[in-house]
Amino acid sequence: MMHLLSFALCLAAFAALALAMERQQHDLFGRPLEPALTRALRMTGTSALLLALGVLVNWQGWGLGLVMLSGHTSLAAGVVFCTIIRIMNGGGRRGAPPRTAQSRPLPTSSRSSP
Amino acid sequence: MTPLIDRVRRTAPVASRIVAALFGGYALAALGSVAALALPMSKPQAVLTGMLASFAIYAGAVVWVFAARNALRAWAGLLVAAVPLAAAAWSVW
Amino acid sequence: MEKDQRSPGRGIRQSMSGLHIWAGLLMGWILYAMFLTGTVSYFKDELSQWMRPELAHQAELPDPALVAQRIADELVASVPGSPQWSMRLPDARTNSVYAFWRTAPGSAEGGRRAFGEANFDPATGGKVTARDTLGGDFFYRFHFQFHYMPALWGRWIAGAAAMFMLVAIVSGVITHKKIFVDFFTFRGGKGQRSWLDAHNALSVFGLPFHFMITYTGLVTLMALYMPWGEQLAIKTQAERQQMTAELNAFIQPGKPSGQAVPLAPVAEMVRQAQERWGRENVGRVTATNPGDSTARVAVARGESGRVSMSPQYMLFEGTTGRLLEVREGVGSAAETRGVLYALHLGRFSDGVTRWLYFLVSLMGTAMVGTGLVMWTVKRRQKLADPERPHIGFRIVERLNIASIAGLSVAMTAYLWGNRLLPAGLAERAAWEIHLFFAVWALTLAHAVLRPAKAAWIEQLWAAAALLALLPVLNAVTTDRPLWHSLGQGDWVFIGTDLMCWALAALHAVLAIRTARHRPKLRAAPAKGRTGIIGGALEEGRS
Repeated sequence: MMHLLSFALCLAAFAALALAMERQQHDLFGRPLEPALTRALRMTGTSALLLALGVLVNWQGWGLGLVMLSGHTSLAAGVVFCTIIRIMNGGGRRGAPPRTAQSRPLPTSSRSSP
Repeated sequence: MTPLIDRVRRTAPVASRIVAALFGGYALAALGSVAALALPMSKPQAVLTGMLASFAIYAGAVVWVFAARNALRAWAGLLVAAVPLAAAAWSVW
Repeated sequence: MEKDQRSPGRGIRQSMSGLHIWAGLLMGWILYAMFLTGTVSYFKDELSQWMRPELAHQAELPDPALVAQRIADELVASVPGSPQWSMRLPDARTNSVYAFWRTAPGSAEGGRRAFGEANFDPATGGKVTARDTLGGDFFYRFHFQFHYMPALWGRWIAGAAAMFMLVAIVSGVITHKKIFVDFFTFRGGKGQRSWLDAHNALSVFGLPFHFMITYTGLVTLMALYMPWGEQLAIKTQAERQQMTAELNAFIQPGKPSGQAVPLAPVAEMVRQAQERWGRENVGRVTATNPGDSTARVAVARGESGRVSMSPQYMLFEGTTGRLLEVREGVGSAAETRGVLYALHLGRFSDGVTRWLYFLVSLMGTAMVGTGLVMWTVKRRQKLADPERPHIGFRIVERLNIASIAGLSVAMTAYLWGNRLLPAGLAERAAWEIHLFFAVWALTLAHAVLRPAKAAWIEQLWAAAALLALLPVLNAVTTDRPLWHSLGQGDWVFIGTDLMCWALAALHAVLAIRTARHRPKLRAAPAKGRTGIIGGALEEGRS
């Protein structure tokens, strides 16, 4: 039960943090959100992560708590990331042959590619 | 001959860095693990501290070797780092 | 290997990128195998249960004190004169007791080997009568010492691979530090970018785990890799004993007196430990010089719920059962080492945490796999003649297939072998392993002979089919099919069957995706594309 709670908190936290990012807002809503809302999202995300940490540490102590939090955050971040990609690709990924997609310019080729 | 010399001149610095990373890095890490014996703690604890820290030293050394501007600086950096460690290691030899 | 022209103005990102790519590639195949077998090893006890279907499902944990007594009696009888034996008491995850012993000097067995080992039935105390198999321990041992070579060699190779991994992680973080600033902003691209994105996502999200598992992996064998301080500082016998006492609960045998005194009841000693640490939290019972007047028995604390492997044990006089010492603390460096060691093995985990370990470790495996594949995907675009790639490219491409898709086939074949090899076969456990390697070698041959893409697809489908049919094979060859285990609430067998299907689905998806994928074969645009061999191999500014 505690596991479920902290995983849900991590999931919510990363969803909020992702939505607080300019790029995500642009992709999902077509425009940036109000700065106040963005700030609120960031706050919510951070507090949810801290809360998850609190829940686990309170339950199992620091050693096990931190290990569990590390696992929950890794998994939750992965789930949020995959969900965002799914939404942005709008399901078009499934049918469309990759070749047509590649004729589009590659996005942000400077980012993180060696 | 010229292409061959050219080739050597091009690969020698890389080879030198690889040697520095693999063996120089290990030597530095080993030296660090010995230097830890100079720490003010009981022998088993000092030995373990040295072992635990050595892999961080090794990784740091490898990163330095490939980040340095040229092979010569890479080696020089390793030597500079080795001096205080060697001094510490010397005190417990 | 090809050489990039040096060009001035390359920053640290370029050189770190080169280091990341080459450190990753050179050990990538070994790392992938270590990662995957290590991942599976989080369930090695469950796998061992599944591979010994003759041993009944253990619905309730037998009293550890009684089991300890039973096995101790058996060991006293079957390996008399052994200077030391040690057993791991069963817990909720094991239905057999693993024990090992030093062979008695001068005994028939002692002439050949220094150690013996066996699994015992907790209910009867006798050796298990199940089929001869190494079970999940094969993957576990392969994970850090491989096979067909002296264990020491394997451990050195594993250490070198782990060190490369550590360097690849550090250099990867330096190269891609932007990702950490804008977490989540890499997007799902196509072709090369989608590989890169997958690799990045797997790396970033699992980073705490990947770094931890690599460093702690080195720590588990650090005395082998970095022996210099120990050799210099630890010289006398007393110092050596002081050192090992900081590391584990295996008490070392002293000189026997030669005066025979029977061992006091072990059950009583375990009971005292149970009072201290909890009924099911007793881990290991080790006896030295049992049957001699100098006998000692150490009862160690269990591993659950404590993130440390540092030794905690109660030491008893073997002849009287009198408590001599309770050891519950070690020095700070030793405790640090104990914590790191425990983090690597994750044996303290409850069920959910174990699954977290498994899943994030699987992410690590996929990270190594995507990294390897990316090397070829990126390079394919730069090939002068994509129909006839140069030899280096082909080697990498084929090794990728056999080490990624082929390993899945081989590991599943190992489980098939467990069900299909005749029970009476001599050296049966060894033949299961030979089968694993034979199938792995076949996948390599297949990868070399077939066109690359076809080889990928065929091997992924082969793995999917073998995995999907494994529960069927289990149902046919044992009396523990899925419906039976469901009725019994036997989660080890239920879980294995379901996991096989989940993994089969995963391989099928990968096969379908690979089949759909059309690699981009034209030359990459010349502009804005820097060499894949990064700055590490370029001496630009000298």
